[in-house]
Amino acid sequence: MLARAEAEAVKVLRDALVRAAIAERAQSSESAPVPPKPATRPSSGATALWAYGVLAADADLPRSLTGVDPGHPVEAVSAGGLVALVSRVPLDEFGAEPLRENLNDLAWLERVARAHESVLDQAVQAGTCVPLRLCTIYESDESLRAMLEREAESFADALGHLAGREEWSVKLLVDADALTHEARAQTEDIPGLEQGTEEPSEGGAYMLRRRVERRVRERAAQLATEVAESVHGRLDAHAVDAVTRPAQNPELSGHDGDMLLNGAYLVEADRVDALHALVAELERDYGALGARLELTGPWPPYNFVPGGTGTAP
Amino acid sequence: MDERLPRHSTANRLPGRPTQNTNLADILERVLDKGIVIAGDIQINLLDIELLTIKLRLLIASVDRAREMGINWWESDASLQSLDSGEQGNGDGGHVQQLERENQELRDRLDRLEQRLEEHTSG
Repeated sequence: MLARAEAEAVKVLRDALVRAAIAERAQSSESAPVPPKPATRPSSGATALWAYGVLAADADLPRSLTGVDPGHPVEAVSAGGLVALVSRVPLDEFGAEPLRENLNDLAWLERVARAHESVLDQAVQAGTCVPLRLCTIYESDESLRAMLEREAESFADALGHLAGREEWSVKLLVDADALTHEARAQTEDIPGLEQGTEEPSEGGAYMLRRRVERRVRERAAQLATEVAESVHGRLDAHAVDAVTRPAQNPELSGHDGDMLLNGAYLVEADRVDALHALVAELERDYGALGARLELTGPWPPYNFVPGGTGTAP
Repeated sequence: MDERLPRHSTANRLPGRPTQNTNLADILERVLDKGIVIAGDIQINLLDIELLTIKLRLLIASVDRAREMGINWWESDASLQSLDSGEQGNGDGGHVQQLERENQELRDRLDRLEQRLEEHTSG
């Protein structure tokens, strides 16, 4: 009970914050001119290197990619048997101080995050790639090369682990009404609930209704957990590795229904077709709950980089 | 300029992810939270950026994550107070919060009372 109250309280707070943050984002994208205009800013002209990801030196690199700064294309820097995808970024936008400020601007962050992701997206289509976290920035080619040499072993390990495998994302969404409906159907024959329906006082009928509703809610929550666990279990069995992520906020992701599972799966490339079939099968199995499975990929393998879950140094 | 990179054959197999339409939550939960962490020359710890952390964690986070972070921290944070009050400008946020809190407390009390009543009547 306490847990539920707490969860509800958290939800109320979160919703309020999210509304505020999203309103702010919408506002800033309205008021601010959409294209970044570095040209109008007094610029020191100094740049640094933004790194996206690391591939084996012999990888077939994508070409003509736009970087996080639209004025600079993506280039390759090699060392230690590896190649890093990088692009130049102006220090007056990406230096430590301006960066700190810019990261607090959701519209700026969205643009940069999408650009970073887009480069990596194309990289994974060309070969195995270890994605770097946002904002991995070097002062010079030399210092980037030094990093590649220093970290060569762990990158090689990561590339070996990821070779021939793909990260896919599966989300399980159910229709809340369908879930409640199913829970109600399963709750109705619980003995003891009907007793007292004959000649109930007004208060008694109210209490009974409350009790039934509570059981339905509990059953619905239980069903949701069961379905999520079952779906995740079957996907996990199909994958080399699997992680679950917190459910997303519908206002940001735009999804309908309740997100019961937000999972990422590392799958052997030759089992990806079978993964599609499995997802379709799971969707059929839980059709009664209005279940939808959303399969996307292949993603840059963010979730499966060895050591990739640690906090920043 | 418009030269396309060689597309892997798997690219066409799927619903796929037309990059422009990929939902922002999908991207942020990856690029901010995942991917290999290597020290760069520009020292920036994403987790240290207060507003970023708070806003985005909440934007992409589940109730569990929010609970992990505690639910009190933001009440004492001036930047979040103003965040909460949004366009109303200076500061109804605290008031709204207080109302929400009281509302919740009352709901909890009602729940507890009803349960006791129920135990009483059914027992």
